[in-house]
Amino acid sequence: MSSRPLNDEEVLNQMNKMVAFIKQEALEKAREIRVKADEEFAIEKAKLVKQEQLAIDAQHEKRRKGVEVAQKIAQSTLTNKSRLKLLHRREEHLQDLFSTSRSSILSLATDEGRYVQFLEGVIIQAYLQILEPSVTVHSRKQDVDVVSRASESAATLYKEISGRDVEFEVQGTLSDEGAGGVKLISGTRRITLDNTLDERLRLLEDRMLPEIRKDLFGANENRKFYT
Amino acid sequence: MAAQQSQGIQTLLEAEKEAAKIVQQARQYRVQKLKDARSEATKEIEEYKKAKERDFKAFEQSYAGTTSNAQTAVDNETEIKLQAISESYTRSKDLVVKKLLDRVVLVKPELHRNLKKLGA
Repeated sequence: MSSRPLNDEEVLNQMNKMVAFIKQEALEKAREIRVKADEEFAIEKAKLVKQEQLAIDAQHEKRRKGVEVAQKIAQSTLTNKSRLKLLHRREEHLQDLFSTSRSSILSLATDEGRYVQFLEGVIIQAYLQILEPSVTVHSRKQDVDVVSRASESAATLYKEISGRDVEFEVQGTLSDEGAGGVKLISGTRRITLDNTLDERLRLLEDRMLPEIRKDLFGANENRKFYT
Repeated sequence: MAAQQSQGIQTLLEAEKEAAKIVQQARQYRVQKLKDARSEATKEIEEYKKAKERDFKAFEQSYAGTTSNAQTAVDNETEIKLQAISESYTRSKDLVVKKLLDRVVLVKPELHRNLKKLGA
């Protein structure tokens, strides 16, 4: 390296080199900045988009589930309504059956022979249930005679079966609208036994429901256990 | 000589200024890019949202269709079952009425099982 001072041409050369160097450095720095900017841009954008997408997805999932649940509820409501309709229809038929039988028993009392037999049986049953020495037999006004006779033979049979005596009194106090039968009240007026046709039918209506169901509508297909 | 030197320094200073400008431009570019990132992301998100909305609407439509179908199907089934019930009833009604009436008059008087017949 010469230490003599540089002439004009060399100075210019050096200057240009330095200027070029500065420029070059600047350009490189600028390039770096740009490249980094592009990278950051992509990352930032992807991050934002992803974030929002997740939120939107979650929202839609919820709405979707809501619709599904609503649909299930609707289906269940339909099934329920349908079942209720079926039950309602069965109930209607059942009521019809009972009202028919209630009007039918009115004719039972007209068959004299059977009616007397029935009365006898019913009165003995009542005696045997009450097991008191003295009773009052209530009947319909039109039945008083028949019932008196029946009570008499019933008392004899009662003595045969149980060895006990019974003293009875017949009163025609029952309503004439009833179908027939008797009502017994013990002498001390503490025990009442309703053995009228109406009451017996009512009891039957209640107790026979499973059997009635089976006869009218067939056995239950879903039932698994019977005692 | 001094004039030459100061001229040289001047040129260098200008070169520095230019360089700074270039770098400054690059920095501005960066800032702009970041803003762009935000706005473009928003745009993309909007697109996505709309697409999802469309999907969902289609889904809802299909469900509405199935519910009305289900309604009519259930109604028809119910109607058939109701018919069956009524028919079965009319068939068996008399039988059951007779059963009831027979049992109303059926009596079996018995002494209570814990008691014994009294007397000789």
